[in-house]
Amino acid sequence: MARLKPTRTDMKDAIVLAASPHVAFDGWGIDALGRGALDAGYDLDTAKRLFPEGAVDAVVHFADLSDREMLKSLAALDLDEMRVRDRIIAGVRLRLEFLAPHREAVRKGLGVLANPRHGLIVMRLTHNTVDNIWHAAGDRSSDFNWYTKRGLLAAVYAPTVLFWLSDDSENFADTWDFLARRIDDVLKVPPLKAKLVKALEDLPKRFAAFKPAKGPQQNQEPPRT
Amino acid sequence: MSAKKKATNKSATTTPVGGRMPGDLTREELLDRMIRVDQAGEYGAVRIYQGQLAVLGKSAKGPTIAHMKEQEDVHLETFSTMVSDRRVRPTAMMPIWHVAGFMLGAGTALLGEKAAMACTVAVEEVIDEHYQGQIKQLGDDEAEMRDTCSKFREEEVEHRDIGYEHGAREAPGFPILSGAIRSGTRFAIWLSERV
Repeated sequence: MARLKPTRTDMKDAIVLAASPHVAFDGWGIDALGRGALDAGYDLDTAKRLFPEGAVDAVVHFADLSDREMLKSLAALDLDEMRVRDRIIAGVRLRLEFLAPHREAVRKGLGVLANPRHGLIVMRLTHNTVDNIWHAAGDRSSDFNWYTKRGLLAAVYAPTVLFWLSDDSENFADTWDFLARRIDDVLKVPPLKAKLVKALEDLPKRFAAFKPAKGPQQNQEPPRT
Repeated sequence: MSAKKKATNKSATTTPVGGRMPGDLTREELLDRMIRVDQAGEYGAVRIYQGQLAVLGKSAKGPTIAHMKEQEDVHLETFSTMVSDRRVRPTAMMPIWHVAGFMLGAGTALLGEKAAMACTVAVEEVIDEHYQGQIKQLGDDEAEMRDTCSKFREEEVEHRDIGYEHGAREAPGFPILSGAIRSGTRFAIWLSERV
């Protein structure tokens, strides 16, 4: 179905993408957004209306756009044939590959988000990204693993972005090596966690030592000496 | 026929999603909370029965408790699937409920079979109220979830009745015990909706 009018999201997508080259020089302010709007065929007022908070709104929208583009590229891959580890790596990599032409805009965007008052936004954006990657990778966890998985990926994703920002190797080859090493580091955590969980699960067993007064006796523990 | 039509009209007007006031939770937030707390609740229920079984598993009440636990397993499975399908964040309290549920079950079971049944009665009564509230809030657009809740609610009520049949009222200090467990359960619901 052809859409006559572009949606709000379409307009915002067009404006942030067109603003990106200006952002490299002007930062994510209304200046760059206004120029981006003009380049995309809109005017300054549209930019002000669509991004009432200016820089922060634009950065949040850019992150959202990157997630959507990443999911689109991920959907084109044959994920069923890949190991979970490789699906996750593909997610991070495709997102950064989409961002490659906008590296300066990303650097400036991180500067905007570095303001402590945007702490919650940073958490939300990071969560959206890692949650999207895990969901695309087919994660179905519905217990505390939900948190562990997302937390571990966030701990890989953030340093990878920082590494990527200053990576001048060809086609970011060093970043992909870095990413693979971080993922392998993180994969050492689940065995540790399994040990901890086992210890916690064994804990209630100690209650088996106590029996109700009238309850039948079973597997009595020898008294400690 | 016309009576039926009237009934659907009436339920449409009571659909709460349309009557949202500014500042209320959005439809998605409300559903998120509902699924999160229901999953947490069923998880806690499974852990309570596991705790009871750890102590009373081989007693005469064992099969009764095991039967209730099996039903709770199905409930938990259903809500866990919903959590994954709808991308709801599961509660972060999970590890706490893992331990607390088991302790409550094992603890009351150690007080005796009747205290264990009093615990079941107290918990299931609160869960019954909780599901009733949710069923009222869910509109026709979430008919499937509403039916699931009604079905589960009936089973929880059945558990409560089993508890009464097995002498919950004769448990030592029944009013105090059940009062404490009920307020604890309500607090757990409040917490699991949010955290």
